[in-house]
Amino acid sequence: MDAVKTEFAEAAERHLDDVHAYLVYLTGDRATAEELTAETFARALERWHRFDARRAGPRTWLCQLARSTALDHFRAEARRRRREGRYAAAEPSEAAQVFGDGLSPELEAALARLSAAEREVVALRVVLELDGEGAARVLGISVTACSTRLSRALQKLEKEVSAGVAA
Amino acid sequence: MSPLELVGDFDHLTRELRASRPVASAALRERVAALGPAEPAEPRWAFRRPSSRLVLGLAAAALLASLVAAGLTRNDGTRQLKAARPTVDHGVSSAGAQGSPNALRRQAEKTPVFGAAIVPAANAARLQRYQATLRLRVENLESLSSATRRAMTLARSLGGYVGEVQYATHGGKRGSARVVLRVPVGSVQQALATLTGLGTILQQQTGILDVTRRADRESLQIAKLERQLAVATPQEAPAIRAHLRTLRAKHARLLRSAELARIVLTLTTPPAQVAETPSRLHRTLDGAAGVLLRELQFLLYALVVAGPLLLLGAAAIAGTRAQRRRADAKLLERA
Repeated sequence: MDAVKTEFAEAAERHLDDVHAYLVYLTGDRATAEELTAETFARALERWHRFDARRAGPRTWLCQLARSTALDHFRAEARRRRREGRYAAAEPSEAAQVFGDGLSPELEAALARLSAAEREVVALRVVLELDGEGAARVLGISVTACSTRLSRALQKLEKEVSAGVAA
Repeated sequence: MSPLELVGDFDHLTRELRASRPVASAALRERVAALGPAEPAEPRWAFRRPSSRLVLGLAAAALLASLVAAGLTRNDGTRQLKAARPTVDHGVSSAGAQGSPNALRRQAEKTPVFGAAIVPAANAARLQRYQATLRLRVENLESLSSATRRAMTLARSLGGYVGEVQYATHGGKRGSARVVLRVPVGSVQQALATLTGLGTILQQQTGILDVTRRADRESLQIAKLERQLAVATPQEAPAIRAHLRTLRAKHARLLRSAELARIVLTLTTPPAQVAETPSRLHRTLDGAAGVLLRELQFLLYALVVAGPLLLLGAAAIAGTRAQRRRADAKLLERA
């Protein structure tokens, strides 16, 4: 049992930033991302015995868990909004730097205008530098679909940045 | 990342995104680190792909179990075959008292199979009905014909006669004959001794019924009627005379039956050549193959029965997953 704890603690230490960054991109909100990161690692500890290193690395597995946790959160939020009659999407926090300290305001704003699906592929492939297979596994799609999605997301990001600079 | 995906204009974006990636706060690190000391939940059962070593071990165990089961089954069959071998039966009845089935069985078990014939002798001082059944195997059709002729000749030579003969052949290779001989009771032992030499004994059964008392009783009745006839009135005489005639005829038949023994001789050629008995190993392997075949049949049956349900279940699961994936995608597009 101690070995399991040690193994988990090492994996958590090594991949905490990755999972957090992914969730920041996915949610577009730092506070929510922090909550979901803590929730993800709590789930990971619970399910650590299911982790099979032959199928995927710990980072990929943790990102899959993080995505599942985030989707649960989005579903709960959608239900809450329906229940409360507020159909408008929650406005992302206007706090200065959401997606990273040191990002240009144009890029920050462009990222905020991307959908969560577009941001997550950027996070996985660009920020976390996962390979195509790992990212596709996390997203539950084919490698080709993942590449296509990334290409479109980057094009849109580029367009948004250019529009921001022009403005 | 593939260079093809990030050509030209995207380089500056990726550089900036990587350089400014979000970092977890100290508070978050503490929260996650605090998870460590907590006791992880007990592992729940979850399906895991079994290792190939385990699968091979299970397959070997199943094969071994099949072989053992086949071997046990085969042993039972062998015991049954042994129990079904023919025996020589010497059922002897005396004075109308038949031996109990258990006693006859014990006697038959003690008698060696295909051994020398044991023929009980008739008592010359008493009136006895003697009956014997003899089943012999001869080598071929030629022996069958010869043995039949010799049996008939024997009956005549001993002062008896042939009551019935049936002779049949099948396909020019197999045949059988049934001969009913009547020989004087005094010569029955000699007759049986000669007849058993005509072939291999498959079955022998002898029976003696003592009719001395019955004959005595009939004699007394006849004497009594003769006395009644002597003093009978002309009206009574015909009825008594008729009764006396019937009784005398019956008595004569009884005496004749006690004079001549009835021997039923059945001769047969060997049955069609059966395939050579396989070795124990072959039988065991055959049995194992049978068991495996049976298991495959069950498996096939289960697949045929459960196949459509499994397909429906798989389709439902696939549909649910696809629907969930679409819902997730929509959710992320809106988020």
